[in-house]
Amino acid sequence: MPPPEPEKVDKRQAAREVIDILHEIATLLNTHLNRQQLSYCVSLIENGVNPEALANVIKELRTQYPEPVLADGKNEA
Amino acid sequence: MSKTQEERVEHALSQLLERILPTYPDEDEVAADERAGEPAIVPDVNHVSDLIKRDLIRDNSFPDKALKFSNLFSKLLAQPVLNQKWAMLHFLHLLSDSEPPTTTQSDGARVPDHRQFLVDSPAFNEAFSSAGLRRLPKPETSKPARSVQTLRLERRPERRKAEETDEQHKSPAQAQDKAERMGQEPSEPALLRDLPFTLQGLSSTNLVFSAPNKLKLPATLPVPLISLLHTLAEPSLLYRSLSEFVDSSEGGLVGQSFRSALGAELRSYLGLVATLEGQIRRALAQLDESLPRQGIGKAGVTLRRCVVWTREATMGLRLMSLMVEESRGKKGGELISLIHSFSLSHGDPFVGAFAERLLSHVTRPFYDMLRQWVYDGELSDPYLEFFVCEQKQLPEKDEDGNEKGGATSVWEDKYKLNPPMVPTIVTEDFANKVFLIGKTLNFIRHGCGDAAWVESYSKSASRELRYGDTASLERSIGLAYKTTMARLIELMETRFRLFEHLRAMKSYILLGAGDFIAVLMESLSSALDRPAITQYRHTLTAQLEHAVRNSNAQYDLPDVLRRLDARMLELTHGDIGWDVFTLEYRIDAPVDVIVTPFAGKQYLKVFNFLWRVKRIEFALGSTWRRCMTGARGVLGAVSEKVGADWKKARAVVAEMIHFVNQLQYYILFEVVEASWTELQQKMRREGCTLDDLIQAHSKYLEDITRKGLLGSTVVDFPAQLHELLKLMLHYRDAVDGLYSFSVAEFSRRQDKAAAIEARTKAGKWGVSERQLDTGSPFAAAPASKLVGGSANDDDILAGLRVRLGSLSEDFRRRVNVLLGDLYYQPDPDLRWLAMVMNFNDVYEPVRRRRGGSRKDKEKEKEKEKERGKEAEVKDGGEGGREAGEKAKT
Repeated sequence: MPPPEPEKVDKRQAAREVIDILHEIATLLNTHLNRQQLSYCVSLIENGVNPEALANVIKELRTQYPEPVLADGKNEA
Repeated sequence: MSKTQEERVEHALSQLLERILPTYPDEDEVAADERAGEPAIVPDVNHVSDLIKRDLIRDNSFPDKALKFSNLFSKLLAQPVLNQKWAMLHFLHLLSDSEPPTTTQSDGARVPDHRQFLVDSPAFNEAFSSAGLRRLPKPETSKPARSVQTLRLERRPERRKAEETDEQHKSPAQAQDKAERMGQEPSEPALLRDLPFTLQGLSSTNLVFSAPNKLKLPATLPVPLISLLHTLAEPSLLYRSLSEFVDSSEGGLVGQSFRSALGAELRSYLGLVATLEGQIRRALAQLDESLPRQGIGKAGVTLRRCVVWTREATMGLRLMSLMVEESRGKKGGELISLIHSFSLSHGDPFVGAFAERLLSHVTRPFYDMLRQWVYDGELSDPYLEFFVCEQKQLPEKDEDGNEKGGATSVWEDKYKLNPPMVPTIVTEDFANKVFLIGKTLNFIRHGCGDAAWVESYSKSASRELRYGDTASLERSIGLAYKTTMARLIELMETRFRLFEHLRAMKSYILLGAGDFIAVLMESLSSALDRPAITQYRHTLTAQLEHAVRNSNAQYDLPDVLRRLDARMLELTHGDIGWDVFTLEYRIDAPVDVIVTPFAGKQYLKVFNFLWRVKRIEFALGSTWRRCMTGARGVLGAVSEKVGADWKKARAVVAEMIHFVNQLQYYILFEVVEASWTELQQKMRREGCTLDDLIQAHSKYLEDITRKGLLGSTVVDFPAQLHELLKLMLHYRDAVDGLYSFSVAEFSRRQDKAAAIEARTKAGKWGVSERQLDTGSPFAAAPASKLVGGSANDDDILAGLRVRLGSLSEDFRRRVNVLLGDLYYQPDPDLRWLAMVMNFNDVYEPVRRRRGGSRKDKEKEKEKEKERGKEAEVKDGGEGGREAGEKAKT
């Protein structure tokens, strides 16, 4: 990925766009995922991870570890 | 390559976990817990987007969020880089509206339960399987887990590649060799691959259509698969037969539209098959040879699933083939009725909706025909499918053998309502209305020659008629009905002067115009007394002309007078002019639709009867006049000889005149005028149709003939009346004979008085000895003049007396019988007539019973005796009555 060939650049551009779109959808749906989290999720799912499982994991984690008001997981960008 | 991918996953996961929470141990326990929560749905991008949209709409009263989502979704779909769009969306959907992770607790304060877990562990991989189907619990646990892993390992490189080339290449599954290894021939994937062709009715390697309606299944398959294939074979076979039916082109327009509607349904079925094929291909591409049954359970498409997917379509096909089976031999309205019966009376809403859908297509040609019929009055029905049919061969003669006029055929016989063809989507009333509209338009166009109006009407009123819009259909039909009927009546009234003609017929044929008839009778009477052979038409028409000019008829319309004609009926030997003369009123098209030739005959019948009555009245009147004038002069002089006879004769003649007058009054005022008023009322009614006019007129005529004693009831009134009238004529002749006898007697006496005068003047004796010898000087004087002639005269007088007596007797008897019959008629008017004739109980009505003829004879004998005994009794009826009473007892 690092080598910045022109088509790779295009790809990245496209990937960013996708992330943008997905982020918008995510905010629309109140998923409370930030961009970073989202992009990791995307890459996980793209690599064949079961989306339901992932979602459940995230939910589970959230219930088990409720964030403080200033959740560092979110602010660390 | 795979290694790096694994690393990437691990990296991403750990990153994510780090960012979500502080690191804890035993994370894999959670993952193990999550194993059960695999996606329970088939991966379908559109489906999940629909779900999301629905949620958004549900949660927000305004659709703007959903709209926004739709935009984003379409943008996302356009993006080539993302492969797991469904998974991503599903993931987001699951996370949606999750509780905002806000707690006052810090991450670090949490007890780290699940700190790390093995990403590569089989359980985890299993959990993150991409297939969207719920898995069946498997007996062996370790082996499938490993195979899943291998699947992952094998597939990932490809996916990588696909990602890089922006294209998704599905690896072709090598299922066949795998299947052979499993010992099942053919394998399920192979069958799945063939399935789309089978569903389209095409033969394939494993599933061969051996006959048009036979599908051969491979014998090597296990029973469960066979049963599945049986289920799948049904739509295939149905489709085959249906497509055959759709391709055939026999049948009428409705049949063809039925075929096309079925064709559209079959196309949607093919669409389903195509999507099915797409699913199958995609599933087959994802197959994995290493799994048992090639992992077909994971691919999402199995034969069982196909059965489920084709279920609804199978029901549709079944219904269609049922319709096709039942539609054989039916056409037009029957076919529509058939389909309508499915939509109307079938309990299954699916069937109802399906039939409704078909109906809207199938009825299109029907409504086209309806439109043309209702707005143009033309029948365009090449396959005889409409419920109105044209009769090709016009019947020249009806059942009575009467010739029919052209216009009558146009109205009555040209078109016919064909009840079996009336589709059930329209009511019977509606069909009748439609039939009448078209017929009227057609009649206006062809019968009345008013094509211009029809054309302008069809241009202005024509509108589209469709199935399902019953209210507006009813309205437009009702409107068309009103318009056409009003137009036809208006045409009849103004252009064809229907009412003028009817009035003219009433006044001339039914003797309504008394002055005209009186003049005609007077001028014709002398001519008509002569034998029929000497009658000439031109003299008759000349007299008619004379009568018209000398009566109020001259002010009538020339068109009406032109139609009035005098004519002679067929001659038979011995007829005199009275018997054959008739008046005629010519009616031409299109009024003869109402005044049919049959009606013309009725009119003629009534006229002949009335004319005869009139003639009797005229004859009796002239005789009466002569009697009255003669009584002052001639008859007074001979009263001592024939005075008694004259008195009797006058009484009888008065009786007859009373009878005739009552009869005439009854027919003209009680019957004709009453029926005429009724007819007027009916014809002037609002919303009257031509059929109503025809009906009203035939009712009018029927009333006149029935009440006018001309109808053929149980009692033969016409014959009785005819006899009575003949009797009156004979009696009149006899009275005339008496009159001429009296005149002869008178002239003899005058001659004698003159002779006596002459002799006295000559200085001789007025009466010689020889003359006195023969008898009394006064009474026997005429007889003494000519000795031979005296006896002769007495004979004549006696003959006359007998004749007059028997005729009056006969008249009375017949009137009694007639009155007896009249009293027992159901019609109050007829009873009224009897009452009027016998207002002072002069007559003794006789009720005829079975065997009455014998009694009549007995009565006659009795009367003969009575007559012989008491010839001097003036009122013969008294004797007759007594005799009748005796006979009764």
